[in-house]
Amino acid sequence: MSSTNAFTRRGFLAASAGAAGAIGLSPLLAACGNNGGKGGASTKAAIQAVLPTYKPLSGGVTPDIPSVPGTNGAMTDPGFLKYPSTLPKTVTGQVGSGGRYAGVAPSWNPVPPAGNSYYEAVNKALGATFVSQPANGNTYNTVIPPLIAADKLPDWLSIPGWLNPTFDTGGLVGTKLADLTTYLGGDAVLEYPNLAAIPSGGWKCGIWNNRLYGIPSQTDSLSFAGAIYYRKDLLDAKGITPNVKTAQDFEALGREINNPGGGVWAFDDMLVYLYQVFKVPLGGWYLENGKIKNVGEHPAMLECLAWANKIAKAGLVHPDAIAGVNTSNPSRFMAGKVYIEAGGMAGLSGPDAKNGTAGKAGYQRALFPLFSSDGSTPSIGLGGSSGWMSYLNKNLNPEQIKECLRIANFFAAPFGSFEYNLLNYGVEGVHYTMGPEGPVFTKEGSNTAADGIFGFFSTAQTAVYNAGYPDVTKAMEAWCADAAKHAYKPMFWNLNISVPSQFSKTAAQTELWDATQAVAHGKQPVSYYQDAYSRWKSGGGDALGTWYQQNLIDKGLS
Amino acid sequence: MAVMADGAAVPEEARPRPEAPPGRRENAGPAPARPARGLSRWARLRRDRSLLLMIAPAMLVLLVFAYLPMFGTISAFEYYDPIYGFFHSNWVGLKNFTDLMADPAFWHAFENTLVLSLVSLVLYFPIPVALALLLNTVISTKLRSFIQAVVYLPHFFSWVLVITVFNQMLGGAGLLNQFLRQHHMATWNIMSSGSAFKYLVTFESVWKEAGWGIIVFLAALAAIDPALYESAAVDGASRWRRMWHITLPGMRGMIVLMLVLRLGNALNVGFEQMLIQRQAVGAQHAEVLDTFAYFYGIGNGNFGYGAAAGLFKGIISLILIFAANKMAHKFGEDGLYRK
Repeated sequence: MSSTNAFTRRGFLAASAGAAGAIGLSPLLAACGNNGGKGGASTKAAIQAVLPTYKPLSGGVTPDIPSVPGTNGAMTDPGFLKYPSTLPKTVTGQVGSGGRYAGVAPSWNPVPPAGNSYYEAVNKALGATFVSQPANGNTYNTVIPPLIAADKLPDWLSIPGWLNPTFDTGGLVGTKLADLTTYLGGDAVLEYPNLAAIPSGGWKCGIWNNRLYGIPSQTDSLSFAGAIYYRKDLLDAKGITPNVKTAQDFEALGREINNPGGGVWAFDDMLVYLYQVFKVPLGGWYLENGKIKNVGEHPAMLECLAWANKIAKAGLVHPDAIAGVNTSNPSRFMAGKVYIEAGGMAGLSGPDAKNGTAGKAGYQRALFPLFSSDGSTPSIGLGGSSGWMSYLNKNLNPEQIKECLRIANFFAAPFGSFEYNLLNYGVEGVHYTMGPEGPVFTKEGSNTAADGIFGFFSTAQTAVYNAGYPDVTKAMEAWCADAAKHAYKPMFWNLNISVPSQFSKTAAQTELWDATQAVAHGKQPVSYYQDAYSRWKSGGGDALGTWYQQNLIDKGLS
Repeated sequence: MAVMADGAAVPEEARPRPEAPPGRRENAGPAPARPARGLSRWARLRRDRSLLLMIAPAMLVLLVFAYLPMFGTISAFEYYDPIYGFFHSNWVGLKNFTDLMADPAFWHAFENTLVLSLVSLVLYFPIPVALALLLNTVISTKLRSFIQAVVYLPHFFSWVLVITVFNQMLGGAGLLNQFLRQHHMATWNIMSSGSAFKYLVTFESVWKEAGWGIIVFLAALAAIDPALYESAAVDGASRWRRMWHITLPGMRGMIVLMLVLRLGNALNVGFEQMLIQRQAVGAQHAEVLDTFAYFYGIGNGNFGYGAAAGLFKGIISLILIFAANKMAHKFGEDGLYRK
């Protein structure tokens, strides 16, 4: 869960809505080792052996809303209602040794000019030259494979979790990417206090084949695929206070507010976010009597699809959502063309409130409290603790790796620290001015310091902060505190799995996903999905399940 | 060979030759080039150096961007992995192809490609020709330029924009359906209709590209000697007669050439256009070979499989273009090259 405006994930979450679904659908961080042949996953014992020691930072900024523990290790992120007035330093001593490193990361923001004043200011603080090379986030999947093929990987590479299969991260580690176990495993991480303060879940996402390779960024102790939102201002105007406890309530609400003749529909496309409502096991696989099964066999999946199919056919879903016109999705909600939508947790944020009220005074987005289709106690699956990892090039020598890790330690400075402020806003008076609601970018800062590129290489645990919108922060924290009580860990939570190459097509489930969408959008009956699932099973799904059973479940690795 | 009234063949040398118009040589073309046989290779290179220099960049582009990448087709015979590269990825021979042949999704994509291509060929191809003919009848140069500019314009739009415009007009929340709703009539979301998809994409292509497609036909029309029209008009030929006997024969070579090229591209039915609309109608209607290679190859990190699909498409396209070219020769046209 995250929501900061200093480095918001809204941009790239919105740009990769499908990715959120993909993360929710498939085994987390699964990858296919084309040449690896056997595939596999880390063992529990090995993970514990290489996991960096967790040591919270002391002397940082005190949050206005402290973290709240939930079940199964879930814990809300700290919340800040205002920007700190004093900015404590968390890094002392020399960071860099004059080295020069190129880092490639995806970016959904305008690319700033190279060697600008902001980069220079950061490099001066680092004592090294970090050459930031932002690549187009929308085409990142096509940017990196040629670099891999040409053996031209940069010194430092950021890989979003959902691109692990595309990049074959399971094959890259060890062959092209450096093993960081000896530098960060166990107490070794204590040499880098900010990195040691990153929750262990984030580090787990960086472990492949029993060794530690990845440096986490955007780590949450409470990561959810998303939630269901509604336009509170519009429902208030209709005198409706939603009280949704079941899927039936939800449908009744939809029917009450749906008004196609007036150009307004009840729902946007919500399929993957309905999984929580119908208790479809997150992660694509589940255990039943010791046997692994695919989610396609779970009764909840068919119930969920049948419900989605029903509301689509009833005309309760915006036609553009059914047509897959997702580029205008945020504007549909903001423009009041749909009352209810679902999306990533960054939906409720300061920028959203700012943009929404700019379009319509009184705009208010609210979250439905968790509910389940049959009115039973709801549950919500935890997503990976860190959806983003960065990796160092194997060609770097040990001294260079240590220098990079000191830089990563600088990047991982927590919210409200001097380093965080520099990385996210630049230099006061040059890139930002301090306003009553926190830093405000100058023109120079907007052109150079607003790409948030360093956050793709390493960051501290996410903090919730929405400049100028403390009520948004409070609402998010309250919802998360409630949701944390219902959190569960999916079977392959935070586990990197390399699937043998012969299963790559089966594991991707492309045909199955197409069938799922066709049914959810009301174009095909549920039996269409069942037929597709049968084909998938006989076409390799059963064999893949057997591989999971023998290599992960029976060996006790999951 | 000509034939006499009684059916006997007339020897070539005995046939009467038309008299040349006064003041013009019988052969008014440029003087024949000096036979090159007497020149050394070096002398010929020196003589043609300007031409060779002019085509050098184009050859270089062709070499770098068309021929060198062909080496990449080797990945169709491998479990290609970028980490190991072409030379160290596992060699699997024809396995990717045998898997492809056994994959119902591939054949479904192939079928969709052929259907969409056929519909496009029948409904789209004649339109630029007809537009060019219509435009040719407009006498006012200003009006013709204006119409040309208007019909060219959509070519410069991206597919995203074109489909957005169509969605605003024909989509479930678009103008048409809002009008129907407000008049209590049944709605029809054409943008999400699987049965209408093949006609929809053709209609979109016509709107976007037909104007641009008329360029070559206008060029062919411009090459027709206006004196032929004048002579025909003097002889009393109507507009239709002139079009039938002068314009269409004048364009025939170009039409056949474009048709041959079109057949060669029959399996290219528009990657971006299909990709954007795939979710709207579902893969069962919009999956074509290009999107199949993208989703099942690049999307899954299964590059060898995608390359096999791409290579298959390339080979079929090559066969189609040669078949079409042969047909063109049979009908006495040049096709891609003069036989």
